[in-house]
Amino acid sequence: MRALVDTSGEGQIASARGLVKTYGKGEAAVRALDGVDVDFARGELTAIMGPSGSGKSTLMHCMAGLDTPTAGTVMVDGEDVGRMSQRRLTRLRRTRLGFVFQAFNLIPTLTAEENITLPLDIARGTLDRAWFDTVVDAVGLRDRLDHRPTELSGGQQQRVACARALVSRPAVVFADEPTGNLDSRSSGEVLGFLRRSVDELGQSVVMVTHDPTAASYAHRVLFLADGRLVGELEQPTTETVLDALRDLGAGREAADHDASLARPSGHAAPGTAGARHAAGPVPR
Amino acid sequence: MTRVALRGIRSHLGRFLLSVLAVLLGVAFVAGTFSLRTMMSSTFSELVETSTVGDAYVRGAEQIAAAASADMAAVRTGVPLDLVEEVAAVDGIGTALPEITGPIVLVGADGTAVAAGNGPPSFALALHPEEPSTELVAGRAPTGLGEVALETATLEASGLAVGDSAQVVLGGELTPVDVVGEVSFGAPVAGATIVFLDPVTATEVFAPEGLVTSIAVYAEGDLDEEAVVERLRAALGPTLDGLDAEVATGEAVRDETRAQVEQILGFVSTFLLVFAAIALFVGAFIIANTFQMTVRQRQREFAMLRAIGASPAQVFTSILVQALVVGMLGSALGVGAGVGLVAGLREVFARMGMELSGQIPLDGFTVLVSVLIGTVVSVAAAAVPARRAALTPPVEAMRDDVAAHDRGSVIRAVVGGLLLAGGVAAVAVATLGELDEPGMLLGAGAAGVVIGTLLLAPTVVPAALRVLAAPAVLALRPLGGLARGNVTRNPRRTASTAGALMIGMALVGAAAVLATSTQASTRAIVENESTADLLLQSATMAVPAEAAREVGEVDGVGAADLLEVATVTVDGDARTAIGVEAGIFTRALDITVVEGALESLADGEVAVQRGTAEDEGWAVGDELEVRGAAGTLSLTVGAIIDSRAIGVPLVLAQEQYGELVPAGQSVIDSVFITLATGAEVEEVRAAITEVITPYVVVTVLDNEEFADQIADQVDQILVILYALLGLSIVIAVLGIVNTLALSIAERTREIGLLRAVGLGRFQLATVVTIESVLTAVFGTLLGVGIGVGLAATLPTVYADEGLTTLVVPWSQLGVVLGLAVVVGVLAAVWPAVRAARLDVLDAVSYE
Repeated sequence: MRALVDTSGEGQIASARGLVKTYGKGEAAVRALDGVDVDFARGELTAIMGPSGSGKSTLMHCMAGLDTPTAGTVMVDGEDVGRMSQRRLTRLRRTRLGFVFQAFNLIPTLTAEENITLPLDIARGTLDRAWFDTVVDAVGLRDRLDHRPTELSGGQQQRVACARALVSRPAVVFADEPTGNLDSRSSGEVLGFLRRSVDELGQSVVMVTHDPTAASYAHRVLFLADGRLVGELEQPTTETVLDALRDLGAGREAADHDASLARPSGHAAPGTAGARHAAGPVPR
Repeated sequence: MTRVALRGIRSHLGRFLLSVLAVLLGVAFVAGTFSLRTMMSSTFSELVETSTVGDAYVRGAEQIAAAASADMAAVRTGVPLDLVEEVAAVDGIGTALPEITGPIVLVGADGTAVAAGNGPPSFALALHPEEPSTELVAGRAPTGLGEVALETATLEASGLAVGDSAQVVLGGELTPVDVVGEVSFGAPVAGATIVFLDPVTATEVFAPEGLVTSIAVYAEGDLDEEAVVERLRAALGPTLDGLDAEVATGEAVRDETRAQVEQILGFVSTFLLVFAAIALFVGAFIIANTFQMTVRQRQREFAMLRAIGASPAQVFTSILVQALVVGMLGSALGVGAGVGLVAGLREVFARMGMELSGQIPLDGFTVLVSVLIGTVVSVAAAAVPARRAALTPPVEAMRDDVAAHDRGSVIRAVVGGLLLAGGVAAVAVATLGELDEPGMLLGAGAAGVVIGTLLLAPTVVPAALRVLAAPAVLALRPLGGLARGNVTRNPRRTASTAGALMIGMALVGAAAVLATSTQASTRAIVENESTADLLLQSATMAVPAEAAREVGEVDGVGAADLLEVATVTVDGDARTAIGVEAGIFTRALDITVVEGALESLADGEVAVQRGTAEDEGWAVGDELEVRGAAGTLSLTVGAIIDSRAIGVPLVLAQEQYGELVPAGQSVIDSVFITLATGAEVEEVRAAITEVITPYVVVTVLDNEEFADQIADQVDQILVILYALLGLSIVIAVLGIVNTLALSIAERTREIGLLRAVGLGRFQLATVVTIESVLTAVFGTLLGVGIGVGLAATLPTVYADEGLTTLVVPWSQLGVVLGLAVVVGVLAAVWPAVRAARLDVLDAVSYE
């Protein structure tokens, strides 16, 4: 097993240290992220899993600069996302990040092709035709480019969204439940494409999902529970992911117990390596 | 269900705020108009009440019925002054006072005329010490020609004080006077300038022939008005009949006066109500749009309600209840705003020296009508979207992306197309055909064009906006394209938002064309027909006779031809007639003679305008019985003329005119000056200016300036029209704000997505601004196009009325279009800021 925190900084495309996100104030405060240290490897498809409310979406939103962390640092492609102004965040999203959401990914008034090139148009970047063709062929939408989103199936729409996320050659693509609204066949197409974009096109992808089958397409799966990183799995299969989740459910009480013991006065200061998490119930 | 509807309003108050504001503005206009009318009318009633206090009036019999006469006051023959003694001698009569009145110009402390112009009248009255309606507040009553007393408000407006010396233009002569007293009627006089003279002087000036308009009769003791009239009739019956005079009760006279006032106010308020109606009509677009959008947003909510057992009727009703609340709230606030508006206006009037009656009246009628109008408009506007919501099947509504089904769009487009085609055809027929009354057809055609365009607009939106957006799409990639997509994705919404603006802009375009064409036509008339070197005119519309005489004696003036105006009757119908020196047509006026010869004027014949001659079937050689206040003549038609400079039906030579119209009642409209050979225009002009300066109200103009002056008057009217149309344009702009705000709310997730893929805040604001400008420009182009197109037919249709030249003011229209861009940018500010402030994450996950 590789260390969750890669201190060398060589192989990582994005990382977080001591990431805390609190919603609400006082009594009603909810700690969505409770001191997360994580690295996402370059050239890998990483899946983030966890039960509802585990903080997996919040983690991704913070990594992507869509949400501001309460404490901790977030680095994406060598830049400190947490300290960025709105203007710089906008520029970051434009040039270095790609997004695929669960639903409502496309602008209904634009054709598939216009949707794909939208980030480049916004950034006034020049379109690399060869790369565009590569991406379009990879998602298999060559004959659908002139169609509007309403004329495409759900799976096709998500593939257009994937193509859009990749067309500007971002440092990292964040996908938030990209197959959440799709049937299994369409899911397979989208996930297959995301995996190929990593293996064949050399992209880095971070994907949030609660579907073990979806997670099995990843190189690595990270498990979150109660705002903390509780385990990881490399080269997962649907079965190993399911096993891990089952164990996670059983191990959660133990982890909570562990946390309460290790935390006499609140949480450890941000930046201190949470090597403890690595001791989570990670099945081999 | 009602509870659901009311909660819906409360939780989405913002959505309805602009609808409420639209209703508020429209209703404020309506309520303001009504209460302004009530206030004006009570001011005048009060004035009538306090100034016309006689128990009975002896006056000349009605010669021209009030309704038939253009200026609405009945034309009556005079009664002889001698009758006063006889009336006073009748048993039971206390006093009989002749009402002697006439025009006067008072020169104020600042050397300018007090209240001269087209506003409230300026007149002199004989002050009888016994008169109960007037009260001497300060000083004493005037005695002799050199003394006057002033009405309280007049004194204030003039800046003079009791004891000051001043000048008046009286009986056409400039007269120095002393202000010796202040007189009050005990009520505001609505800005009239009133100067009191002693009865002897007034009689000399205004009744040199011994004829007065009426004699006020006051009873001795408690005799009621009817009894006074009875006694006068009994005692003086044959005398009165012989003089063609009649006796009326005080109340009857007061009623007549009040009726005249009401009639004039009626015209004014009808005029204002037309603009209020336009404003409300435009407001209805906003309401309809708002409900259409909120209904769409809440379709799932309705589906849920339907799923748990609500009937379509209940859904329909719940939406109408919301419209009802919006309408009533807007109307209630609008009534308040209307009262505020009138209070502001009264303040403005008071500043301008026009004191109006005490409180601002707000009667039940005004409140009821205003609230009713506002509410009905709201409910009617919401009915269509409500019906649509009620009839959408729940399953369809439950689905995620509800496509806007425009089932009615084809029918609507066809109906719109037919109306438009019919309208254009009607306008064409009215323009080309030889119709007697093209006005009606033209109006109907115009209505068809406007309504047809409104119906057809959604069909043309995609194509039209693609063209309009082309520059933005090319220049601002990808923002222009995004904006274009947003305005074309719901053509109906864009069309009705733009339609609201279209209506106001159509009127602006039409008014601009009409005004410019009128100005050009006038200029053409002046240039074609006036050969005079200079022209005298007066701000009071009456050049003092003495000024005219003096100007005639200035060195270098070859001829000063008077143009006098009065109302006479021809075979019983009231006609405006002018009296001129026959020679004027060789010197100062070059007009077209259709038949006969103008030289015949010198032989005592009469010239008639072609239009009148055609209407009445008069021809050269016909005999006309012309009757004036001073006498009756039988005159032969000697010429038929076609002149727009002389726009009156009847032209008389000075001799005949003098026999028909008493000197006191004639008005010198203008004086045409022709220079003696060899005289220098500038020198003569300087000399004339010197002569007329003391008369204050008289100005000397050359033809160019005369045309300019008329053009200025047209411009002033245009400014008033624009100000009145401004409200409907403001409401239309609110409509754009409303549509943008609601459509941004509708596509929150899309905005989140755009921001997530890197669209900057400023870029997002730019997209919204382009949408707004596109909508505003589309509406303006449609409106101005229609307005200009329709107005362009008017010179053809109304050439006979003096509108001969068609001029399209391209630069003005360009300014209007530029204004549309500005308006679009302004309307976008708030929605754009709101859109830019949306949090990306919230927006992406917005339900």
